[in-house]
Amino acid sequence: MESDLIPALIPDKVLRCLLALFVLLVFAARSQAKNNCPWMNEATASGLLGGDAVGEFTDVASGRPAACVFTQAGASFTRGLRITVQVTPDTHLHYETAAQACLKTASPLEAIGNEATMCTLDNRSTGLTQLVVGRVRDQLFTITFNTTLKDDPILTRMSLKERAYTAAEQVAGNLF
Amino acid sequence: MRHARHIAVLLAGLLLAWHGIKPVRAQQDNAPGAASLTPPPAYTPRPKGAPPLADTPAEREAIARWKAKAELHLEADRTAYNAQVTPTYNFRYGPRSPFLPGNVQVEGEGFLQPGAYPSAEYCGTCHQEAYSQWRQALHSNAFRTPFYRTSVNLLIRDQTRGIAFARHCDSCHNPIGVLGATLTEDSKVDRAKFDSDGLTCTTCHSVIGLDSTNGNSSIKMGVPSVIVDENGERIPGEVPFEMILRHPERHSAAVMHDFLHKPEFCAACHKANLPAPLNDYKFIRAFTAFDEWQQSKFSQRNPLTFYTAEFASCQGCHMKRNAVTLPDYGAKDGTIVSHRWLAGNTAVPFYYGFNEQLKKTIEFLGSGNYLNVDVFGIKKAGSEKLLAPLGEVPFSLAPSDVVEVWVVIQNKNIGHSLIPEVRDLYEAWVEFTVRDSSGREVYHSGFLQPDGMLDPRAHSFTNRPVTDEGEFVDNHKVWTIHSVAYDNSIPAGRSVLVRYQFPMPAEVNGAVTVTARVNYRHLRQSYLNNVLGADHPAYPVVELASRSRVLKIGENQPEQAQANDNPEWMRWNNLGISLLDQFQYMEAVQAFGEVVKLRPGYADGYTNVGLTEIVWEKFESARKAINRALSIDPSSARAIYYDGLLERRAGNTANEIADFSKVVEMFPESRDARRELGISYYQNNDNSRALEQFQALQKIDPDDLAAHYNLSILYRRMGKPEEAREQQAMFMDKKVDPGAPTYSLNYLRNHPEISEESIPWHIHSDMRTETAGPKNGK
Repeated sequence: MESDLIPALIPDKVLRCLLALFVLLVFAARSQAKNNCPWMNEATASGLLGGDAVGEFTDVASGRPAACVFTQAGASFTRGLRITVQVTPDTHLHYETAAQACLKTASPLEAIGNEATMCTLDNRSTGLTQLVVGRVRDQLFTITFNTTLKDDPILTRMSLKERAYTAAEQVAGNLF
Repeated sequence: MRHARHIAVLLAGLLLAWHGIKPVRAQQDNAPGAASLTPPPAYTPRPKGAPPLADTPAEREAIARWKAKAELHLEADRTAYNAQVTPTYNFRYGPRSPFLPGNVQVEGEGFLQPGAYPSAEYCGTCHQEAYSQWRQALHSNAFRTPFYRTSVNLLIRDQTRGIAFARHCDSCHNPIGVLGATLTEDSKVDRAKFDSDGLTCTTCHSVIGLDSTNGNSSIKMGVPSVIVDENGERIPGEVPFEMILRHPERHSAAVMHDFLHKPEFCAACHKANLPAPLNDYKFIRAFTAFDEWQQSKFSQRNPLTFYTAEFASCQGCHMKRNAVTLPDYGAKDGTIVSHRWLAGNTAVPFYYGFNEQLKKTIEFLGSGNYLNVDVFGIKKAGSEKLLAPLGEVPFSLAPSDVVEVWVVIQNKNIGHSLIPEVRDLYEAWVEFTVRDSSGREVYHSGFLQPDGMLDPRAHSFTNRPVTDEGEFVDNHKVWTIHSVAYDNSIPAGRSVLVRYQFPMPAEVNGAVTVTARVNYRHLRQSYLNNVLGADHPAYPVVELASRSRVLKIGENQPEQAQANDNPEWMRWNNLGISLLDQFQYMEAVQAFGEVVKLRPGYADGYTNVGLTEIVWEKFESARKAINRALSIDPSSARAIYYDGLLERRAGNTANEIADFSKVVEMFPESRDARRELGISYYQNNDNSRALEQFQALQKIDPDDLAAHYNLSILYRRMGKPEEAREQQAMFMDKKVDPGAPTYSLNYLRNHPEISEESIPWHIHSDMRTETAGPKNGK
């Protein structure tokens, strides 16, 4: 049924073609490199970083874990979210070793994977970093948030913890 | 209209291009479980019975302005959202069925953006008690739990399927995700919020209609709204709290539909099937708690139940009112209906550390209201005499006697089967122990092994779905299920007889104590291992019910019954029911015979004798029993129904039709009576009346095979080939595959321990040479 409100001035087929072309152009112009991260999509990472982020996935290679790196770059700052995953034997031992990066500031994360821990690392040269180390069965994962802004209005010390928990839930959920 | 839509999309696209395309995000980030709600705004409820406040013209105008703006925003957002997600969406089942294999539908055009749903924290501001309960309940964790994610991830990663197929599961577990087009490859939607909140407040409270009782999320989701205007028109999205507090009645009108109180609402997701689009095979019933309830005494819709009860809905048991401890403006007399939905899931609160939810769930399960365990009788080797009921009759025991103990377990007050729903994942079983007076174990069945696995020969109330290769579907890959090797669950209101055989030790003296307990674990150990690996902590085992009896060596005299024991007539009745279900008709008639001896004025006792004899094809004696039942209670719908069957057998069509008509009149939602009356009319060539009955039956149970079969014929006779074809197709799809038993047999052949369990009349014993089968059916 044609609308009574909009005169059928433009033939339907032409309108469809125009629309398809328009949508293609818009999306082609703004398309980003395809992100194949299996544990988090770009939109979710953008939400967690507080702005449009670009992701890159690197598959597992000799000795290196698979990794997703999401970057939100501003004029004078960079926010990053890095996820690594590797399958290891004796995963619990590897988990404990990896969690040592938290030094004494580690706090356990409840209900993330089989086990997980989180900490905030404040480094004068690299800025604020939030680290999660966790395990899902025999898969060891890490999540690292960092910002180069000294007093980041979005990735505040408090909000980083919440964001890291949410990220950990997404990653662990996809690893199950 | 098409032009209007196209232009709207074009405009939305321009808007996007102007502002730049941003990833679509859910409303806000929030660490689950860490939400701190803002204090509720001040509110003084109006006195009870006071009429709603009338709006001034200025207020009316302000609301109208708000509504117009909210609608405009919602539509603009929705159009922009659709423009963004539609081009890359995987329309696996065609553009007209974006949500298949789920049955969920949505109001309006296209997908609905996750941001359209007011957040749980918004609702929680004024409903803090409900929010805090919901946060620990299964509904809020419907998606994110490892137990669910492991299953659905298998489907997503399956080489021949993928994420589009997961709409089948997520339609109930994550409807916001499904309706928001996020179940597609390379999704551009921020998942964080709705993944964490599962079924948030404004999923259930935004449903505007129930499509059917087909399940698989057979709902229509409305555009979320928390208030209506004075004309009853919904205003989308969040509104200022003052607007709600000034007009709580309009808030109720938006979020509290009558069907929320009805079991049919629960049926939308607590009933599920595996459709051909999911499994490339055919319709397979997955679970149907709703139908089980409907056939139970609690629905008062089925005249054929063995016992009767006051009406109780799903909500009546799982959403009982409880006192509030936090501010909640929805409270009535200081109580709200529970938003914990206490039921059987201990695994989720255990995993999340929701101690209050876990404690309440264990209390709920262990309340002792639901099951009755009766150590009913014993038989001694060399004698066919059943010494029963224990406690009522004297008997003697001697050392070295080989004893067979009969345990009757009654599903007394559960409105569905034990265990309901995905019973292949849960574990309920009988643990049976015999200990001498020093506590030494004489016999033990149903123990947990050191690795946490259940004794493979335990009597368990579970099932075994199998693939077309006859392999047990251990990891809940439901799309590979082709058959069910056995199903030992106990339907609502029925009973099961479990028999154990053991020798009394030669040196025993004093007494032995036999204990039968029904244990429950959520989830089955091998499934927990699938999810978490073998190194997870032990998950809670809850005792649902138990009963012990002391058997003395020497003479045993009758003893006082315990408070929870059934009366003697009911003990016999339950034995009769269990024997009937195990095809032991003669013994069942004898057991029911004891019932009528103890309660000669109990019409149902005679009906039980009669119905057993009908199944046994002893029609003459069945006629006598039913006549006796009707002489005691001429209005017994149950007796009239079986009278109808006997009249049919005798060729008295008019009486047969009169009987079934009476039952239908008394119980219009009796599927059995509707079916039989339809068949009677059909056999009597009364096509229009037959059609009426089968159509009514199909409304009660959309999957009834007799309805599909007969309707296909009747429609054809009436010159309606299209309808006939549709019914025929549904009959063919839903009818059990004649080849399916082969798959079951392949499995049972390789698993003798399960094979024995699949036989209704079996015995648990260590005394026979048994082939040790693999653990737990694996």
